[in-house]
Amino acid sequence: MTATAPAESAPLLEVSEVTKRYPGVLAVDGVTLSLEAGEVVGLVGKNGAGKSTLIKIIAGAERADEGHLSLSGEPLDLHRPHDATVAGLAFVHQDLQDVGDLSVAENVMMGLGYPRRLGLFVDWAELHRRAAQSIARLEADIDPRQPVGELSVAQQRLVMIARGLAQKARLLVLDEPSASLTDEEIDHLFAVVRRLRDGGITVVYVSHRLEEIFELTERVIVMRNGQLVADEPTSSLDRSSLISHITGHEHAQTAVERRASRGVGGRPGTGAALEVEGVSADTGVHNCSFDVRQGEILGLGGLMGSGRTELVRAVFGADYRREGTVRLHGVAISHKDPSQSMSAGLALLPEDRKTQGNIMDFSVRNNITLASLDRHRVRPRVPVPSARSEKRAADRRIDRLGIATPSDRQLVRLLSGGNQQKVVIAKWLEQGADVLIFDEPTIGVDVDGKEEIYDIMEELAGEGKAVVFISSEFSELVGVCHRVLVLSEGRIVGELEGDAVAEPAIVEICYSQL
Amino acid sequence: MSDKASAQVTSSKSNDWRQDLDLLKVISRFGVLITLLASILIFAVLNDRFIEIDGIRTSLNLASPLLMLALGLTVVLAMGDFDLSVTGIQSAAGAIVVILIVNHDWSWLLAIVVGMLFCLAAGSLNGLLVSYAGMPSFITTLATGLILIGTRYEAADGRNITGSQDLPDIYRDFGVGRPDPWLELHTPVWIAAGLAILMWLLMSKTEAGRYMYAIGGNPEAARLSGINVKALRALGFTAVGFMALFAAVTTTARTASSVADSGFSTLLGAYAAAFLGAAASKRTLFNVPGTVLGVIFLQAVDRGLILEGYSTGVRDIAKGCILLLAMAFTRIGASRR
Repeated sequence: MTATAPAESAPLLEVSEVTKRYPGVLAVDGVTLSLEAGEVVGLVGKNGAGKSTLIKIIAGAERADEGHLSLSGEPLDLHRPHDATVAGLAFVHQDLQDVGDLSVAENVMMGLGYPRRLGLFVDWAELHRRAAQSIARLEADIDPRQPVGELSVAQQRLVMIARGLAQKARLLVLDEPSASLTDEEIDHLFAVVRRLRDGGITVVYVSHRLEEIFELTERVIVMRNGQLVADEPTSSLDRSSLISHITGHEHAQTAVERRASRGVGGRPGTGAALEVEGVSADTGVHNCSFDVRQGEILGLGGLMGSGRTELVRAVFGADYRREGTVRLHGVAISHKDPSQSMSAGLALLPEDRKTQGNIMDFSVRNNITLASLDRHRVRPRVPVPSARSEKRAADRRIDRLGIATPSDRQLVRLLSGGNQQKVVIAKWLEQGADVLIFDEPTIGVDVDGKEEIYDIMEELAGEGKAVVFISSEFSELVGVCHRVLVLSEGRIVGELEGDAVAEPAIVEICYSQL
Repeated sequence: MSDKASAQVTSSKSNDWRQDLDLLKVISRFGVLITLLASILIFAVLNDRFIEIDGIRTSLNLASPLLMLALGLTVVLAMGDFDLSVTGIQSAAGAIVVILIVNHDWSWLLAIVVGMLFCLAAGSLNGLLVSYAGMPSFITTLATGLILIGTRYEAADGRNITGSQDLPDIYRDFGVGRPDPWLELHTPVWIAAGLAILMWLLMSKTEAGRYMYAIGGNPEAARLSGINVKALRALGFTAVGFMALFAAVTTTARTASSVADSGFSTLLGAYAAAFLGAAASKRTLFNVPGTVLGVIFLQAVDRGLILEGYSTGVRDIAKGCILLLAMAFTRIGASRR
């Protein structure tokens, strides 16, 4: 451990030999890196590679077990998140940490102390003026008085960035900032990032979307199993070399190549497994009709807010279905309750695995058997779960789906995002559903994990199950779907099948409707 | 993917012994138990009478109604709800049973049956309001509890309803009863123990219990997994009513009267016991054995302090401090996660 002497042009932030252990995991393993002023650096790696932990250490939310940080050559000792704020380090986390009931201005100025009159009363006019200044730097059209909860996800992220600016941040860490954003919103986000960089602010951009890394960053830092495995100029890398850094082995394939190599073509089979007719719901779904055949993977594309999630929730009965019928294998199901749809063989794997998919404080085993507990009884008529039967089922699913967990007793909370998603899948496979609706199953899942989820969907289709796949990443739909429906404003506005399934075609339908 | 998992497991082995010996971890996991044992030890050293078997039997008897109430609360708490009306239901049901026997010459059995129906109805009403009408449980049950206590008060002009002459011996036996020949414990202790075993089986062994914890963990994920969340939550409140009847019968039988009392301190005691139990458990979940432990703990502290001659006020302060300490223990673990 050599002390770094403050040089004339010391980097903005230096991380030296930082190590962090959690019970059972070496989350960050001797990472050393430095960030210069005014550069955009991509931070990539699989889930569980240590990115989040590293960021938490820089944010002062976690203490490193070993190693140290320095800011402009001066040692930086972070005891709590506020210390990082004071040091000029700002963080926009993936799950938005703003307060929905408060106004934009209140959120932007939070942590800075609101301007006051007579030292007691909040000076609202001044508060709104200062917040508007920060927002104006982002060229965003947001009313500082509006409650944040009413904004779109993209606008909420901008509010968080504006908070960083208001705090006079010199380093801005954006963790998956493009998740749930439309292409247009992403373009705006990129423009904002470039403007901040030109203003001398360093931006660390964390994303699983490699296209964005190539478009936006000048340098890429790759983490794998807690270690820093690559730190190179973006221009010296291409997609496949970056993926091999991330995964540790050669394998890179574009969606189109994948489609070709897997021979994904037109609709297979004949009989419709799921028929949806004239479904409308008060959540903004208008007269939607479609069907899915056994063995088919149907994609639902569309921009954020186009009503894809709302449609499948109405189909499943998670939300009230005002009009329309849903038939499984020709038999209509009532729309009272999800349990009705379940017993008919329909499963919804919800958008947010943390808040809707899993019981995070339950073990892997108990989550997997939750929807089929009555089949794991000690005796058929005694409603007492048999631990042995549950364990056998859970172990089988863990093995089949390759869920990375130390044991079936591990809490789901402690698994990585991709593995949490696999637990949700395992639950529904165990339940025996034969029509499965996957709502954004790959959000926040790393490259390998995504590929595994595609494989699972294909395997299910191969077994004759029907799959509905919602994704905002259209290339994913191109990679695996036989057919893609495009939604806009709660209506089905386009259908592509077989060779016609291509990213530009989906995008064109999306925008031709606006 | 799978070889990465095994790599993590093996790397964890080498660190495990250090993690396990972490003092703070031990405190956060076993702090409540350690405090319980330590206080019993201290009281036993201070006063020989603390471990006198007859005194312990009496203590257990006194703690029985509290356990009955706390068992009901454990069910709703596990699902993330509160029920503040439990002592209101108890008080009203006790009055109904005593009035029916004393003033209207009903048979004790019929009176208890009517009392039970009342308790189930009151609990179900709470369940309907909270689970089906979507009203917040805390304030809703505070309101229904107030109504019940007020009604009880008005029904007897705020007086105790005594029936030492008119309550039959067989009813009064529910309050103390003849000790059994083996352990020489009184009837309420056996009833409470029976109820505890019943609730333990329900919550930790049955499908319904699993679903209840699922609801407590994440009601939306539970609903989307096909669990009937509304029905189970409502059932939880009915279970509180069920338990309240037993507490009502035990207390009225013991004092041979229905006492005009808000039941406020009993309510707090029952919550304290349930939360202590959760704090003592591995994953800080509300659970029946923990609740039993919590009740015994609180009763032991009470008894120890009484033997030392401390007043009610001091005992309340002590119990408050213990509760704070228990919560602090669980936070130690959480903040280091």
